Amino acid sequence: MTGVSWSRCDGDDCIRVSGVLPGARVVVRVPPAPMVGHLPPMAGRVVPDGADTCFVPRYPFLFGTTYTVAVDGAVVGELVRPRPERSSATEVLEIGPTASEVPRNLLRLSVTFSAPMRDGRADAHVHLVDQRGAEIHGALLPMEPELWDGDRRRLTVLLDPARIKRGLVGHRELGYPLRSGESFRLVVDADYPDARGGPLRAGADRRYEVGADERRRVDPDGWALRVPAARTFDPLEVGFDRPLDAALLARCLRVVDPAGRAVDGRGGVGPEGRSWWFAPTGAWAPALHALVVDPALEDLAGNSVARVFDRDLTRTDDDPHDGPPVTRPFEPR
Amino acid sequence: MSGYGLQAGTAEVASAGPIAFGPDGILFLADNVGAKVVAVDVGDPGAAGRAVVGAQPFDLEAVDARVASFLGCGTDDVVIRDMAVHPSTHDVYLSVQRGHGDAAQRVLVRVDRLDGSIADVPLDGLPWAEFALADAPAVDDERVDGILWPESGGEEIHYGDLTLRVLRQPIRTATITDLAYVDGALLVAGLSNEEFSSKLRRIPFPFRGEVADTSLEIFHVSHGKWETAAPIRTFVPYDGGRSILASYTCTPVVHFTLADLVPGTKVVGRTVAELGPVNRPIDMVTFVDGGEEYLLVANTSHGLVKIACRDIDAQAPLTEPHEPVGVPRETEDLRGITRLADLGSGYVLALQRDDEGRLNLRSLKTASL
Repeated sequence: MTGVSWSRCDGDDCIRVSGVLPGARVVVRVPPAPMVGHLPPMAGRVVPDGADTCFVPRYPFLFGTTYTVAVDGAVVGELVRPRPERSSATEVLEIGPTASEVPRNLLRLSVTFSAPMRDGRADAHVHLVDQRGAEIHGALLPMEPELWDGDRRRLTVLLDPARIKRGLVGHRELGYPLRSGESFRLVVDADYPDARGGPLRAGADRRYEVGADERRRVDPDGWALRVPAARTFDPLEVGFDRPLDAALLARCLRVVDPAGRAVDGRGGVGPEGRSWWFAPTGAWAPALHALVVDPALEDLAGNSVARVFDRDLTRTDDDPHDGPPVTRPFEPR
Repeated sequence: MSGYGLQAGTAEVASAGPIAFGPDGILFLADNVGAKVVAVDVGDPGAAGRAVVGAQPFDLEAVDARVASFLGCGTDDVVIRDMAVHPSTHDVYLSVQRGHGDAAQRVLVRVDRLDGSIADVPLDGLPWAEFALADAPAVDDERVDGILWPESGGEEIHYGDLTLRVLRQPIRTATITDLAYVDGALLVAGLSNEEFSSKLRRIPFPFRGEVADTSLEIFHVSHGKWETAAPIRTFVPYDGGRSILASYTCTPVVHFTLADLVPGTKVVGRTVAELGPVNRPIDMVTFVDGGEEYLLVANTSHGLVKIACRDIDAQAPLTEPHEPVGVPRETEDLRGITRLADLGSGYVLALQRDDEGRLNLRSLKTASL
C-alpha cells in the first residue's frame, strides 16, 4: 500500500512516500490550471530513507498549495500544505499625512502597519474615496514595485503625477484627482493581507479636507523658531508655514553646535506635520547653534527647499536652489 | 572573468528586481532589499559552441505556469519582475519572485532558447561583484528621529519629567526601476519612498569600491512652460549608447544624451512624446531594421508603440499647442505586453499576458512591426 505524508528528512521538509520499491521514479507536481502541453515537475531531489522514499523540494512547500505525488507515472496521492492559523493581529498604526487639510496637488500618502505586509496588493486594498463615498478611480498611481520601507511596514502611495503636473495630457484631460473645498478619505481594506497572509484586525481610514494648490518652494527662512533657554533640556521648537512631509523631516533636519557637530538628542514631528521639535541629550550651551535643513525636504505637494514640484518657467522666483543645506542659526541664552 | 573584477564565491541577492546583461554574458541584478546591484557571470551552458539560433523565432506558451510548476507553486505565487536575453546564446533569463510576504524568495530562472525547458540559476559559486548604492541606508539604520505617537504603541522615551511616545521613523528605501549597461558603465534609474526626484546613476563597471557613482537629476519641460523632475520608470540607450530615451512615472517620453550627464551641471531632457493619460510606459527596447534604429514602448493601456529613432532626433521639444503630438509613432495591436528584449536577428521577444491571463513568450518579427 503506497502512502504519502508530510515529513522531515535530514532536517528538511519533505513528502514521504511509503510502500514503493527502491528506485521507483517519484515526481511531485502542483496540479496545473487547464494547460497546454507538458509542464516540468517540481524541482527537488528524491532520497531513500529507510524503507521509504522522500522528496525534498529545492524551494519550500508553500502554505495552501496542493501537491500531487506520482510514482512511475501513476498518481498515488495528493497533499495540501496546511495553512497555519492566521489571526487578525496586524493593524494600521497611522495614515499620513497627519494634517487635516491637504493641498489639491497633494503628491503622496502613507500607511504605517504594525507588522510587515505582503507586497503587490496596494492597488487592490488602498483606495481614495470622495465625500459621496465613491471611489476616486485613477487617483493613485499603480506602482510595480510598490514603495515600501525596509521592514515592509510603511507603504508610500503616490497620487498620479501626470494629473497633478501642469501641461501634461493627464492633467489636461482628467484634471486633478482631488477637488478643492471637498473632502476625501484614504481607505485601507480590512482584508489587506499581511506578510503571513492574515487579514488586518480592522480596516482603517482617514479623512482629509482639500485646500488650495501649494506651489511655493519650502522656505526655512520663514519658519518660526522657539529657542530654548541655555542650560536647560527644553526642546527647540520649529513652526512651519504649512505641513511638511513627516518622513523627510526625520531625515532632513538636524541641529549642530558652534563647531558644526551634530547635537546629540531626539527630534520629532509635531501635530499635523506643522512643527518639529528637538530635545538635546545634554543641556543647551549658551552659544550659537544652527538648524541645518537638507534641501531635499518636501511639503505635501512635493515642493522642496531646492525646487518647486513643477516650475513655471515664466516665474523667476521659482528658480531652483541647487546648493548646500540651508542653515537657521539660533542661540540659547 | 578577472578582467571584470569578479570574485569567486556566492553573491547574496535578497530580492528579485530588474536585470540586464552587460559585457561577456555578465548579468546585472538589482537588489532593492539589499540596496545594491550585483554582477554575476551566469556561465550560460549554451555559451560554448552553440550554433547561433537567433535567426529563429522563439515562442513559449504559459511561461508563468511552467515556471510555477518547476518551482512547485501556483501561478499566483510567481511574479516575473524582469526579463533579459543572453546576448550570445539568446537564452531567456527571468527575474522571479516566488511566493509573497514572509515566504517570498528570489529565483533567477533560465528558459532554454532551444527547447523551452525551465531551469533555475543558483548563484552558488558563480563569479560575482557588487556595488552598494551610496545613499541607501544601512540595514541596521537606527534613525533616531520619530513622530510623536499620542496613543499606545511606539517607543516611550523620557526627558526629565516629560514622557513622550515616539514611533521610530521608517528608513528610506531606494527602489531601482530599470538598469542598462552602456560602454563601461551601468546606468541605474530608481525612485525613493521619501523624496520625489529623478536620479540617474552612472556606475563605472568593473565596479571599483573607491569609485562612487555619479548621480544626476534630470529635468524635463512640459510644453515649453513647466519644468519638472520625476522618477524614471524605464529607459533605453540607443544610437550606440550616445542617446537615452526615458519614460517617467508621469508619462512623458524624454530624450537626453549620455554626454550631458556631467556632474555639477543641470540636465534638462527634451520631451519628445506623451503617450496619453491613464497610461504608463512599462518597458522599452531598440531594434534595427533595414539599417534604421527603432524603439518599441510597451504600455499599460495602449498597444505597443513603435518610434523611429531618427524621428526622435528630429523632434523639436513639445510646445503648445502641438499637444498631444510628438514623434510619429504607430500603436500596434499588441496589448498586454509587460516586458521586451532584443532577441537578435530580426526578432524582439515580448512577455505578453493573453486574454485568459496566461503569460506567454512571443517573438515579434521586427520587419513586420
